[in-house]
Amino acid sequence: MTINALLRTTSLALLLAGTAGAAQAQIAIGQLADLSGPTSDVGTPFSQGVADAFAWANKNGGADGKKLNVDMVDYSYQVPRAIAQYKKWSGGDKVAAIMGWGTADTEALTGFLADDKIPDMSASYAAALSDPKGTGGKAKAAPYNFFYGPTYSDALRGMLTWAAADWKSKGKSGKPKYVHMGANHPYPNAPKEAGEALAKDLGFEVLPPIVFALAPGDFSAQCLTLKSAGADYAYLGNTAGSNISVLKACKTAGVTAQFMGNVWGMDENAAKAAGDAADGVVFPLRTAVAWGGNAPGMKTVMDISKISDAAGTAYRPVHYVTGVCTALYMKEAIEWAAKNGGATGENVKKGFYQKKDWVPAGMEGVCNPSTWTEADHRPTMKVDIYRMKVSGATDGALNDLVKNGAIKLEKVTSIDLPRKPEWLGW
Amino acid sequence: MATPSLIPAGDYRTSYAADTTIFPTAASRNAVIVGIMLICFAPQVLSEYWLSILIQIGIFGIAALGLNVLVGFTGQISIGHAAFFGFGAFTSAYLSNRFSIPVFFAIPLAGVVTAAVGLIFGLPAARLKGLYLVIATLAAQYILLDFFARAEWFTGGSVPASAEPFSIFGMRLRGDRQYFYVVLTYVVACYVLVTNLMRSRDGRALVAVRDHYLSAEIMGINLTKYRTLSFGLAAFFAGVGGALYAHYNLVVSNEGFGIDRSIIFLAMIIIGGIGSIMGTLMGAAFMVLLPESMELLSAALRGSPIDQFLGLKNNIAFLREFAIGVIIIAFLIFEPDGLAHRWRQIKTYWKLYPFSH
Repeated sequence: MTINALLRTTSLALLLAGTAGAAQAQIAIGQLADLSGPTSDVGTPFSQGVADAFAWANKNGGADGKKLNVDMVDYSYQVPRAIAQYKKWSGGDKVAAIMGWGTADTEALTGFLADDKIPDMSASYAAALSDPKGTGGKAKAAPYNFFYGPTYSDALRGMLTWAAADWKSKGKSGKPKYVHMGANHPYPNAPKEAGEALAKDLGFEVLPPIVFALAPGDFSAQCLTLKSAGADYAYLGNTAGSNISVLKACKTAGVTAQFMGNVWGMDENAAKAAGDAADGVVFPLRTAVAWGGNAPGMKTVMDISKISDAAGTAYRPVHYVTGVCTALYMKEAIEWAAKNGGATGENVKKGFYQKKDWVPAGMEGVCNPSTWTEADHRPTMKVDIYRMKVSGATDGALNDLVKNGAIKLEKVTSIDLPRKPEWLGW
Repeated sequence: MATPSLIPAGDYRTSYAADTTIFPTAASRNAVIVGIMLICFAPQVLSEYWLSILIQIGIFGIAALGLNVLVGFTGQISIGHAAFFGFGAFTSAYLSNRFSIPVFFAIPLAGVVTAAVGLIFGLPAARLKGLYLVIATLAAQYILLDFFARAEWFTGGSVPASAEPFSIFGMRLRGDRQYFYVVLTYVVACYVLVTNLMRSRDGRALVAVRDHYLSAEIMGINLTKYRTLSFGLAAFFAGVGGALYAHYNLVVSNEGFGIDRSIIFLAMIIIGGIGSIMGTLMGAAFMVLLPESMELLSAALRGSPIDQFLGLKNNIAFLREFAIGVIIIAFLIFEPDGLAHRWRQIKTYWKLYPFSH
């Protein structure tokens, strides 16, 4: 009897000590990635950036001495798989935070995240995720959703503001025509209403939206519609992969509209693939510089890149650099939480409110200053608009093409939007 | 006089009750009852992950059961089953959100509404057979999918719709551990219903339509009625399964109801055994466990020496999908009669051991 009791107590003590010890040494983070689905063209570099940044953080002391244990799962942008994966992560031992991906699944998970108190830093910039208390009246309360970058709606608003000025500076009169192009899917649809409303206010004539699928395909029909409607400014809501198909088809069809992409709509790889069809496309950048740019923080990014590219020869597209910034914000929020009561989901959420105009350590000049508050999860209202310039042939390594200027990202302007309360969540 | 008898010696019944019984022996009946009682303890014992697997097996088992009634027992074919599954999901969400019908009633109601839609799409079945019927059901699949994407009043358009959690008498069921019992009740009820259907007059009529429709028609069985009824029944079970799925995920999105899901349902009943009710559940279990075990395998392989040797890295995701297809094909080649047949062979082997042949 006594031996049994002794064995029971010692095993219980060992168990508790063991789990407590394990919990102290590691902080679990879940990461949803799209490496094989419709947005994998941009999902692969972004998740690589996130994974490398966390690995680099672990090599340099982790979060307050604890290792960040990242569980990356490729869910191919299928919402049911994301939900099943979420159930695994929010089970017995909850993860401290999730690095999310797509609009459709992040929007579906907002309720669960709030109930289970797990912060989710997504790669979706849908405005519907930016209203933590639901005060804007247009979106559901999403208190545990964060993202780094302007919302899709704000980015579109910024580009429309630029487009209105661009129309006037070209000396043209009359109403410019604006059209929203994208798949019938939550991600491209996210900024549609907000964009069309602002376009109307700025004096654009809003044409009926044109639908083209997220997967690359033959979109000559859409280009002919674009041409016959005579659109002057067209917003591309999809990721780079399918945008390339549209750009090429429209170049062949002789479309003269100015294309404006979303943050995922264009990158250096897409410019290489599309060639001169991508010349002149305007899109926002979430970081202050691209790979190889002149900024003190670029050295940190290059160190992080060496985690998966020891030779240091890979050219990292804009999405990689953004992934690094996104992961480092999460890492610093977890660090703050670990120092202020333990790395639980609630504390990590509070960790996001730690600083105003926050730039992660070592990333000066790369990550844009971001501020999250309890009432407003829009980190920035500044939209940096860049133009992709492609001159000449684009066969050859991306590194060389960028070096000799065949592919260049040229800054057009920076639009500072007012932080309007009626734009919160919309 | 040496005619081969179709009924083996000793197989006779002395009462109608004995002839129409579902379980041929008391042992098998007791085994099923004990099995269900043991499963009731699963939420206490198993982890959340395994519970979610069991719940998925139950939900897809109900939907596949409907398809088996259609394909296995009536000899029709449908590759639009996932669309009815999705219709049930969206209907249940719509009924519980818009009309505030308690989820307890919304689920069977969704099944009935889906059955009505299934009857409409089943009307071509009266005239079409074989390949032409396949195309007609393919049309049903795409029509319904497009309807889900566009009908914002019904589904919210391309944004995922949210479904209410299940509640009984005001007590909200939270989490998989409690929802498990809901799914278990529905699985038992649906399987008992279909087993009973198969020993009833209508069930025998369906089997007659499958085996030899000309003789069935001559005998006086109304082919149109039974073919359409079969579609309605299949859609009913698909709708109930879909509704359970909606209230399990608490979110209904378009993606889960494409043609790939329809083909997975077909794979479930083919692997389980067409025309076998027990086989349906086994096939559903197989198809749910297959991607999970492939995921486990690929997670174990990632970073291992094999991965580095073959240079797989990110391609493990594609290998997983590839492996699932290969396993299904291998199954069809080596076990065309399905898991139910294999299970019966195993039982017979042990029954006759050591004299099995």
